[in-house]
Amino acid sequence: MSFVHIQNVTKVYNKNKVLDQVSLSISEGEFITLLGPSGCGKSTLLRAISGLNDITEGSITVGGKDITNLPPKKRNVGMVFQSYALFPNMTAFDNIAFGLKMDGLSKKEIEPMVNEMLDIIDLKGKENRYPSQLSGGQQQRVALARALVKKPTVLLLDEPLSALDAKIRRSLRTQIRLIQKRLNMTTIFVTHDQEEALTISDRIFVMNHGTVEQVGTPLEIYTSPKTEYVAKFIGNYNVWSRDQLKGIPMNGVPSQGEMFAVRPEAIQLVSTEQAGHIGEYTADGTITMATILGNVMRFDVDVAGLNIRVDMLNEHGIGRLNTGSRVKLVIPSIEWKNIQKSD
Amino acid sequence: MQTQERNRISGGRLWHNIVVILLFAFLLIPLLVTALFSVSTNWENTILPQGLTFKWYEALFSDTRFLYAIGRSFLIAILTVIVSLVIMVPTIFIISLYFPKLEKWLQTIVLLPFALPGVVAAVGLIKLYSAPPVAISGTIWILLGVYFIVLMPFVYQSTRNSLRAINAVELMEAAEVLGAAKLKAFVRVILPNIMPGLIVASLLSFSIIFGEFVLANMLVGGSYEVVQVYLFRILAQDGRAASGTIITFFIIIFILYALVLKIGNWKPKVKPLPDAEEEETA
Amino acid sequence: MLLLLVPFCVWVIAFLILPAVGMLISSFQNEGGQGFTLGQYSKALTHPLYKTAILNSVMLSLVSSVIAIVIAVIGAYSFTTFSSKVRDRMLNISNVMTNFAGIPLAFAFMVLYGTNGMFTLLFKKLGLSFLTFDLYSWTGLGMVYIYFQIPLAILLIYPAMYAIKTEWKEASSLLGANSFQFWFRIGVPVILPGIVGTFSVLFANAMGAYATAYALVLRNFNLLPIQIGGLVSGDVFPRIELGSAMAIILFVILMIAMLINEKMLKLARKGY
Repeated sequence: MSFVHIQNVTKVYNKNKVLDQVSLSISEGEFITLLGPSGCGKSTLLRAISGLNDITEGSITVGGKDITNLPPKKRNVGMVFQSYALFPNMTAFDNIAFGLKMDGLSKKEIEPMVNEMLDIIDLKGKENRYPSQLSGGQQQRVALARALVKKPTVLLLDEPLSALDAKIRRSLRTQIRLIQKRLNMTTIFVTHDQEEALTISDRIFVMNHGTVEQVGTPLEIYTSPKTEYVAKFIGNYNVWSRDQLKGIPMNGVPSQGEMFAVRPEAIQLVSTEQAGHIGEYTADGTITMATILGNVMRFDVDVAGLNIRVDMLNEHGIGRLNTGSRVKLVIPSIEWKNIQKSD
Repeated sequence: MQTQERNRISGGRLWHNIVVILLFAFLLIPLLVTALFSVSTNWENTILPQGLTFKWYEALFSDTRFLYAIGRSFLIAILTVIVSLVIMVPTIFIISLYFPKLEKWLQTIVLLPFALPGVVAAVGLIKLYSAPPVAISGTIWILLGVYFIVLMPFVYQSTRNSLRAINAVELMEAAEVLGAAKLKAFVRVILPNIMPGLIVASLLSFSIIFGEFVLANMLVGGSYEVVQVYLFRILAQDGRAASGTIITFFIIIFILYALVLKIGNWKPKVKPLPDAEEEETA
Repeated sequence: MLLLLVPFCVWVIAFLILPAVGMLISSFQNEGGQGFTLGQYSKALTHPLYKTAILNSVMLSLVSSVIAIVIAVIGAYSFTTFSSKVRDRMLNISNVMTNFAGIPLAFAFMVLYGTNGMFTLLFKKLGLSFLTFDLYSWTGLGMVYIYFQIPLAILLIYPAMYAIKTEWKEASSLLGANSFQFWFRIGVPVILPGIVGTFSVLFANAMGAYATAYALVLRNFNLLPIQIGGLVSGDVFPRIELGSAMAIILFVILMIAMLINEKMLKLARKGY
């Protein structure tokens, strides 16, 4: 039995379908991510769940209760905003306590609850600071605590990390995941960052033009994209149409399908000079560009005019592969993913 | 979209509409009624005028006293604006670029007139300039002198903002490295770039001088009768001419503001930041 | 290059510094411009006519500023709920209306609310006499002051209102607060520095206002600026020294208001 159930939700704004018959189910305690570029409808869906946006059609059920027509404050959902939305005139403590005060709890009841949250977000001792005296990451943790302290049935995170710099973003996302697991909090996370989605989620919903394009675990999404859109969005996939492959001297192109995706790290690359023992291979090519990405080397290989992207671990000896090197490519047949063309 | 959602939470499109309508009714009705008065035939003891006519405007615009008053206001306004730009802009430029330590002083002096009501300013000036050696009280020159002071804060702020916006320091350096002398660099590079800001400042200065009454009345009064003083003097005797003058004054103000808007450099103090997510929720 | 600063300095000295110093000196002189005395100040602060003028001005300025701010806050907030295009237009109109003050405004109010004014007659006819007021009373003058303070207040307060983020309201409503609770606990505290700052500007604006009251000639309003004007350019004989002392008093009141404002700002900003 799903905990959050969204059925055929449609939102029309200015005659545009921002959400088009979206349905999804989430189990209790699950961490799911709505992933997509800006404009795909992910934030609109999140705001529809929170009640901040109304919907044109469909229904939203949380914990067996239909909340489609409830005002935001009756839904008991927690939400964290991209801009933190902390109240600037209140200390961290008062920000966290705000929702409890609104529920009419007494000071005595509020204090231990807030302190517990401060503990969880690791901001003990900073409770009397104002938002402007906290760093971005600390502010966002306060915002998280403010949402969690009311024990919401579902937690909504609207790009909570995108205003932070890369390092803090990574550590905070781990923290969020740990806290979520500890509290077994059903969580919906919105982001446009595929790396973030892959590392943090139980399941990912890739959204496009107001619809859900593909659902799956991070592993499924990453290794088996179903459409061109997902393949292009999720990673650095090589995406080729059959037309593009026509006339390219390559072995092992599947006989079925119109579009193919191949992960760059699944391709093996061997310098032609040392390839004596290689046996069967896919194609001959020339490296046109070699880029260091840290632990990975990225090569652009030209095969009769077709550009193939290859990632290889930056191991000892890889320096021999360089711009202009002649290489042989091997693409295992299982790595040719058949995908649907997107428009 | 954003606004639409706002309303769902803040409640009451109706309330905001009513607030805005009442507010603008309160603000605009006096002006509209004055306009109506200026074109009414007879309007003594009735709620609405008995008829409409333009004959008062014909009379007003053939009255040399009125025309002279408008002319004097234009003359003093143009004169003051030119003089203050010619003196203020180089001063601000030099100090902010080459003597930044003096900037604080300049700022204090220049903003002082904000805290100086016209009446207070008039007192000191009357005492100083109504007797020899410099008896310029009652002439256009004392107005020029004091209006320069009145305009200082406005000219300063817009010049300073323009210089900051174009990053004048780097522009000057770039021009000098390319071989331009300081004066040439200022005239060729800085001036054209801050021109829109200066024009806006001039137009707003113009409207300030046009609406100024206290200093004009106390320092020169009838001997250099500007439009506001003229208006005051005929107020009790000739309501038609008064209302016609007010509407003429406001038309000039409207034109000035329209020009300001057209030049486009003038924005309402805060502009919403375009935000990607805002588009998405749309 | 410093030579280029000379015209500016000369101008400021001639028309700002010297007059100010001259006024300060003469405020300590006896009538006739001799000697040194505190008599002018003691007269200004104790003589019923002048004392009342000061009190009247302060009261009128305080009351009109407070009312104008309340109206401006409500109005400016409503502005923010409109689309940006409409909002800009409303702000532009309101900015233009800051020019409607002084003599023109006094005249317009006479046409509307004077003894035979349009609204006076209209309300009487409709049996709404309680809506009419005597333009030449303190209430009437107060109305005119409120009128010319509102557009200025909107101009100054709007940026603060705009700074109230939609997300705050969304967050507070998700946390269970209603609209009143939002304003009471977040909205008003956040814009408080803006309100305080606006208040001091409005107060100064009203304290120094001269033309409006001066133009309502049917009654001699006893206000500080009017007294100063009368003393300095009076028809009978000018009393520059007393006028100077009163002008200095007005200036000092404005300075005190600004100091209080700064203190309040610091208090209001405390923490954030």
